[in-house]
Amino acid sequence: MTILTVALKYLQGRLVASVLTAVSIALGVSLVVVSVLLARGIKESFIAGATDYNLVVGAKGSPTQLVLGVVFRMDLATPNIEYTTYRVLQQDPRVEVAVPIGLGDAYQGFRYVATNSAYFATYPWRRRTFALSAGRLFADDPPKDPTYEAVLGAEAAGSTGLRIGDRFYEGEEMAEYPLTVVGILRTTHSADDRAIFFSLSSYWGMNEVARGLTVKPLTAVLIRPRRLSDLPSLHRELNVSAETQAVLPSGVLLTIFNMMAVAEDVLAMILAIVGIIVLLYVLLSMYSATLERKREIATMRALGARRATVLGIVLVESCVLAVVGGVGGVLGGHAVAYFAGSLLAKSGLATNPFLFDPLEPVVLVSVILLGTLAGLLPAVLAYRTEVAENLAPLS
Amino acid sequence: MSPRTAVALHDVKKAFPLGDGVSLEVLYVEHLTLPAGTCTVLRGRSGSGKTTLLNLIAGVAVPSAGEVRVGDTDVFALSEARRDRFRAEQVGYVFQTFNLLSALSALENVMLAMMFAETVPRGLQRRRAADLLVRLGLAERLAHKPQHLSRGEQQRVAIARALANSPPLILADEPCASLDARTASEVMAIFLAVCRQDEKTLLLVSHDEDALAGADRVFDMAELNRAEARRVPA
Repeated sequence: MTILTVALKYLQGRLVASVLTAVSIALGVSLVVVSVLLARGIKESFIAGATDYNLVVGAKGSPTQLVLGVVFRMDLATPNIEYTTYRVLQQDPRVEVAVPIGLGDAYQGFRYVATNSAYFATYPWRRRTFALSAGRLFADDPPKDPTYEAVLGAEAAGSTGLRIGDRFYEGEEMAEYPLTVVGILRTTHSADDRAIFFSLSSYWGMNEVARGLTVKPLTAVLIRPRRLSDLPSLHRELNVSAETQAVLPSGVLLTIFNMMAVAEDVLAMILAIVGIIVLLYVLLSMYSATLERKREIATMRALGARRATVLGIVLVESCVLAVVGGVGGVLGGHAVAYFAGSLLAKSGLATNPFLFDPLEPVVLVSVILLGTLAGLLPAVLAYRTEVAENLAPLS
Repeated sequence: MSPRTAVALHDVKKAFPLGDGVSLEVLYVEHLTLPAGTCTVLRGRSGSGKTTLLNLIAGVAVPSAGEVRVGDTDVFALSEARRDRFRAEQVGYVFQTFNLLSALSALENVMLAMMFAETVPRGLQRRRAADLLVRLGLAERLAHKPQHLSRGEQQRVAIARALANSPPLILADEPCASLDARTASEVMAIFLAVCRQDEKTLLLVSHDEDALAGADRVFDMAELNRAEARRVPA
């Protein structure tokens, strides 16, 4: 027998109360962990999605709507710009890469994204790389001869069940223009996992209005300048134009992060209150348990247990509860982050719930220390238990 | 003190503070010695100081004055921590209401006493506890929690716990008072037999006829306790 054995036996002896206390700690820790993981995941997802290109060019309107719609597919698409805007930018000597984007409707909730092979190209400066898990990329077909080939993001393929060679369309009016799956992308942990890509020619061919237009429409153009010093002039010129606006994604990110910071501050206050409530619950639970067994504590003292020994038993009990609750909370936090992440993914934000955050060991150690500390008052109560008084025969 | 003297009390007083600098003296034992290996029975009315006397000898209550020696040791010359250790090693205590720990099995309750004394090597504790319980007729009850034992069985577990560290002195406070007559007789017989076999010094608070018949000496608290429940300056 050791102090740990006795403490574990006591916890086992009041199993329901012990489990409830550990669960309350785990819930508090889960809340902290899931908040940390999601906040970090959302920020990283925004950064990863918005930092490959320095400029997003689209129709006049809300800059935030443009970036959220084109990069994260979270908002409604902005009005169209002309395809010639892309051609001009492509020829501009200050531009290293220009990628045309046309946002369409959706198939089973997965957004149609028209682009060309440049979107999937690998560059030294790109954070995100694309790889195929099956098939090939669609062809950069000529406008007059669309192939209607589609490449599916990993989640779009998984959820729709579409495989290479399958043909699909959404709505009877599109039955004449079915898309054929020619490739499936590996997971990128981004909004692209939920996209269905095809060529601009197919995009225009499927759209009744676009078919009749001489100057074809686009939603946006993603720009990477050759030199960062070219960015201000490009930004200015495109904004001076009556039809277009050029948005710095980093500026939009700053706006989003500023909004998130307010929410994070409020969340931190709520978490602090939850933490205090959990600690009070642990204290109350241990205190009542100690009060209930003052006679048993007196018995142990009469058998020769030192005051420090009974103090140790109560502290070990609260420490074990904190360890179990803390570890359970960390695991639970990751599990909740997994489910919350799959909900966020539908909004175009991909988080990785299995990433380990450096804050987690800090949270875990703090919970164990504070949880043990919550047992201190009951432990002192046990320490101060007067033997003779509490051994009086029960009447 | 004679080497054959297990317990000796000299001018031991116990008073409880009433406040305002006044205390109530409830116990005054001028002189008491228990020869080693004997069985002594204390009897007396409720409130006559029997339990207080046992608590003083065990060192769980502190006397207001006087000297309590167990073996060669002046119990209250020891620091509290050393007194706790001394009690664990030298004194076995059997309570009227058994006071078994509800979260522990019969075997673990006996092992608990060994944990505090640390005189029995950890690897041997389980075996020794099991042997004691078997000796007391509880071979089939080792893993049972107190609430799943009869009162007679619970008291036998408490006796095994008191014997766990082979203390030379056993104190028992009306160990059979809460048992029915037949069970009380059985438990008392086992208790006395084990103490005799192991040559323990036994101080027993009891009104049980079997105990009185088996005792070497019987003290009446009315004669032993010279306190007159009077208020004294604290």
